[in-house]
Amino acid sequence: MSEQNLRIAQLYPVELGVTGDRGNVSALQARWERSSDGRTTEHVAVGRGDELPDDADIIVIGNGPLSAMRLVADDLRARSARLESLVAGGAPLLAVGGGAELLSEGVAPLEGERLQGLGLFPFRVSRTHERRVGYVVADASHGRLVGFEDHASEWTLSDDAEVYGTVTAGSGSFALGSGRGETVRRGAAYASNVQGPALPLNPQLTNTLLAAAAERRGLDFAPGAGAAELDRLADGAREAIISRAGKVFNSIGL
Amino acid sequence: MTTLSEPRPASAARSAGPRYIFPVLVGKLARFATRLRGGGGALPGYLTNKLAPSLLSTLANQFGYGVVFVLGSNGKTTTTHMISEILRAHGLNVFTNPTGANLPQGVTSALLADATLTGRVRADVAVLEVDEGYAAELADVLAPSVILSLNVQVDQLYRFYETERVADMMLEASSRASGHVVINRDDAYLSKIDEGAMRAPVSYFGVAPALVEASAHGLANAEDTRSGESAVFHEAFAEVTGADGRAVTAVVDGAEVGFTLPAPGMHYAADAAAALTVASRVLGDAFRGERASSGFATMAPAFGRGEVIPLREGADDEQVEFVMFKNGPSLQLNIDALSGSPERMLMAIDEGTPDVSWLYDVDLSSIEHVDVVTGEKAFQLALRLEHAGIPIDLVEPDMEKAVAHMRALDATSRGRQTWFVNYELMMIGRKILGHGDQEVARR
Ligand SMILES: [Zn+2]
Repeated sequence: MSEQNLRIAQLYPVELGVTGDRGNVSALQARWERSSDGRTTEHVAVGRGDELPDDADIIVIGNGPLSAMRLVADDLRARSARLESLVAGGAPLLAVGGGAELLSEGVAPLEGERLQGLGLFPFRVSRTHERRVGYVVADASHGRLVGFEDHASEWTLSDDAEVYGTVTAGSGSFALGSGRGETVRRGAAYASNVQGPALPLNPQLTNTLLAAAAERRGLDFAPGAGAAELDRLADGAREAIISRAGKVFNSIGL
Repeated sequence: MTTLSEPRPASAARSAGPRYIFPVLVGKLARFATRLRGGGGALPGYLTNKLAPSLLSTLANQFGYGVVFVLGSNGKTTTTHMISEILRAHGLNVFTNPTGANLPQGVTSALLADATLTGRVRADVAVLEVDEGYAAELADVLAPSVILSLNVQVDQLYRFYETERVADMMLEASSRASGHVVINRDDAYLSKIDEGAMRAPVSYFGVAPALVEASAHGLANAEDTRSGESAVFHEAFAEVTGADGRAVTAVVDGAEVGFTLPAPGMHYAADAAAALTVASRVLGDAFRGERASSGFATMAPAFGRGEVIPLREGADDEQVEFVMFKNGPSLQLNIDALSGSPERMLMAIDEGTPDVSWLYDVDLSSIEHVDVVTGEKAFQLALRLEHAGIPIDLVEPDMEKAVAHMRALDATSRGRQTWFVNYELMMIGRKILGHGDQEVARR
């Protein structure tokens, strides 16, 4: 059993889990379990002070307010070397919102002290007065990345940062040429501001993460017929989003 | 009227009078005009405020039993309704803002509609649901005697982002209450109120710890990520001690009060404890448990909170129960309040709820089957249900077609379908069922 069992570690689900981040874990679980008979998953919640299992196959970290980021920052920094070796070794990771920002070089908030990041991804974050709220669509190497953005952050990428998506609707997280970009990639690790949550809405990315995890284990991964209903509903959701994208929701300027 | 504790003497009120006739009249005319166009709107209040900036304070100051503010992420409308009915059951004439107008201009419009041409109010007390973001500002104008803070839940992320900021807004407003501050002792943020920073004494309400533990997901209040610490315990002035479906028992200031809620749910029981605390503080010695119970008994369910409407016009055999949700906590608490999986179920969500990421934070496992998923975001909702392994018969973004499907199904054994809807689709659903001609629902 254990050979076919996928362990998904979610960091700080209580503190950094306010935007449906559990859904990214659910998408990985559903697609792995439905890819072949006998495949199982384990969702490992890693809170402050908890051990990150040595054999975690995929790491997920979600979004939360600045106070939550400050609350977990020391604990996360203590895992810096471990996470660096995992990502450098090609382990799949998805970080969203506040979680992604903590894995950057650092966050400059509008008020209070700068938050030192882990430097796992080569970008810096400035919190902004303006909020970016609405659907976001970006062209990416695995297909269109779609979802919802809701952040007041501007990312500044280092020269060596690998851009994942070119924004075609919505605001995105950083400047890209004369346009905008969304999501930074490093190997099989992704730092993103795409909510929705991202993985249920983006089977192409979920499959990519699962394939990377399978490969590290010497297994094959193909979504197969078991994913048909997930794909059909995701297609419907993506179509509806794409047809409405570009319409940016008003945020009340508070 | 029954025996009541002494209201503030009328002489304390700033004088109204002829100088307000023009502004009040303009406001009333503007209100009439916007009504004709089918709107509610903030224009009347805006106009009157421009013409007589002191009018609002003057109006508010005339309520003998003062002004009550109801703040909170979830449950403002329900609790405002509960407080009003309890006070009415004690013989008070209650003014409230009935159209969900909880922003400053909206409150002005509502007050104007009720005022006489010379700027006098007719009611004994005002119970107002107020948006957290404007509560302090509005408190400076309306000088509330009691400010109630219900809860801080992960909501309105796209408005405020930082949950603790919402808590701070409520506590900042609370410091302006002259008579009483009423606080949810089970809320991680609110329970840490600095009593010394308040002008008025603080009364707490809550749900007995054993009941919170027994409910599937507690009370769904936000985690305090600022301190990382859970709620600070306080003795409750009013505490829910028993809840069995809609039947609830609470202990208010040492005396037991039993009553029936308009809809089941731990969140409504907590709202009821809040309402009992406020009513008791407003009424003082005149508060009577039996009258409070009869107040709950006369409460008609608000739109989308336990209200039932016939599925087919002119036929009462099959009813639709509307359950409205606006965010993760309210959806979770409404699901937890179900007694078993609904026999026939429609779920609906549209663009009125911009971000639906939180659907994945809600435990849906007590739902066994959904007949139709509808609304502009039908596929996003269906995708969520599929991840939970919940079977769906039909995904149909068009609400009219979805309703036609529900009408074509065989009758249920209980004569009741359950429709979980967001606010906008509740209004559309009511209209399709032939109930769209009524007063705009309170949000
Ligand atoms: Zn069915």
